[in-house]
Amino acid sequence: MSIDWITVAAQLANFLVLVWLLKRFLYRPILDGIDAREAEIAERMQIAVRAREEAKATEADYRARLEALQSEQTSTTEAVRREAEKEKDALLAEAQARIERERAAWAAHLDEEARSFTGKLQRAGANALLDLTRKALGDLADDSLEARIAAQLARKMRETNGELERAVGNPEDATITSHEALSQSTRDLIAAELHNRFPGLALRFETDPAQAPGLTLRIGRAQLAWTVDTYIEGLGDLMADQLGSNSGQKA
Amino acid sequence: MTLSPDDMIMFVVWGIPINATVFYTWIVMGVLTVASMLLTRNLRADVPPNRWRTALEVIVQGIQSQIEEIAGGPSRHLLYFAGTLFLFVAVSNLLLVIPGFEPPTSSLSTTTALALSVLVAVPLFGITSRGLGGYLKTYLEPSFIMLPFNIISEFSRGISLAIRLYGNIMSGAVIAAILLTVAPFFFPVVMDLLGLLTGMIQAYIFAILATVYISSATAPSNPPTTQENTP
Repeated sequence: MSIDWITVAAQLANFLVLVWLLKRFLYRPILDGIDAREAEIAERMQIAVRAREEAKATEADYRARLEALQSEQTSTTEAVRREAEKEKDALLAEAQARIERERAAWAAHLDEEARSFTGKLQRAGANALLDLTRKALGDLADDSLEARIAAQLARKMRETNGELERAVGNPEDATITSHEALSQSTRDLIAAELHNRFPGLALRFETDPAQAPGLTLRIGRAQLAWTVDTYIEGLGDLMADQLGSNSGQKA
Repeated sequence: MTLSPDDMIMFVVWGIPINATVFYTWIVMGVLTVASMLLTRNLRADVPPNRWRTALEVIVQGIQSQIEEIAGGPSRHLLYFAGTLFLFVAVSNLLLVIPGFEPPTSSLSTTTALALSVLVAVPLFGITSRGLGGYLKTYLEPSFIMLPFNIISEFSRGISLAIRLYGNIMSGAVIAAILLTVAPFFFPVVMDLLGLLTGMIQAYIFAILATVYISSATAPSNPPTTQENTP
């Protein structure tokens, strides 16, 4: 066991060189690398913290925007709902008014139809009645309706006992209007009766299909009618009552 | 039988004989330096660490954490010094398993040189830390009566460091050599394995004690007491 001082000095030098070499090639690169990595990690963590804060701020901003949008949407929805409600009320009112108008028009149309139908029925009934009467008179009494009406007109004029003459004064002409053209005998009967009362009276015979069957005498200021209108009106009232009761039963 | 590698001349350079201690020291230095260069050549912050770099970082950070525990704070210079002590002694002792390799730490000259380096490093670190007056004042603590004892303690620590490491490593090498002649097929292997464990422990103890000595010199007050009852 001995100490070689030259070797000691050499080993001291070797050790110091080794310290420098390891410092140069081992410790410093390793520690610098660790420090750099730690600094990088710290920087990344700071970036992450900042990013998180920015994300939180952005989230809060978007939440506020979302709430504002929801509030705006609610108010807009409420306004639209009110507007729609108003529009609906207006449309309903308009529809109801239109329905009322259509209902009134329809009722008027029905009344018109009923009146038309009643009129047609009345005329048809009257025609049928007249035809029946005319046929019955022709078959049973060998006479015509117009002739009988003319006879009745002559009798009526006689029964006036001068009232007709006083009413018409001195007429120069007279017009006899009938539904259909009168036979010559009927015309002669009427002419004889009128000339008997009003000599020199000019007579004119006319036909009016719109007039009810019968005779109408216009002489001077007076007009004397002998038609089946009064009977037909009674028949019309009866038919209207029947139609009204039938429609009421259907309703 | 040669007990010390100092007596084994390996070759002569320019008339200067190079003994086994210096030669094998250069080998250990070369191994450490080349390994460090290879492992740290691509060490950049933008390159992800690989397993070798991670292992190296574990070793360096392990040494650093041990130093921080003892010194009470990080110190790069102390890391360079104590870390190199540990790595040099550890690698020297680990290379014992290579047939024909003579660990430099089995030479009393090497351990003396290392102890001397610690002996010089203690006042250097102390003066750097406390200033010259502050460091010299530690020799008068707790009273001026303790001055000679403190000086003796300072030198005895260095001597104990040198002798302890030398004795342990040299004895292990010698025992292995003796057993190799007695029972060449079994006991040397066991003793080498035991020597590896002993060598690592010695490296750890040497570096730790050096750190403790230096830390006691750099500590502001109440330097930690050292235990000398180590193997």
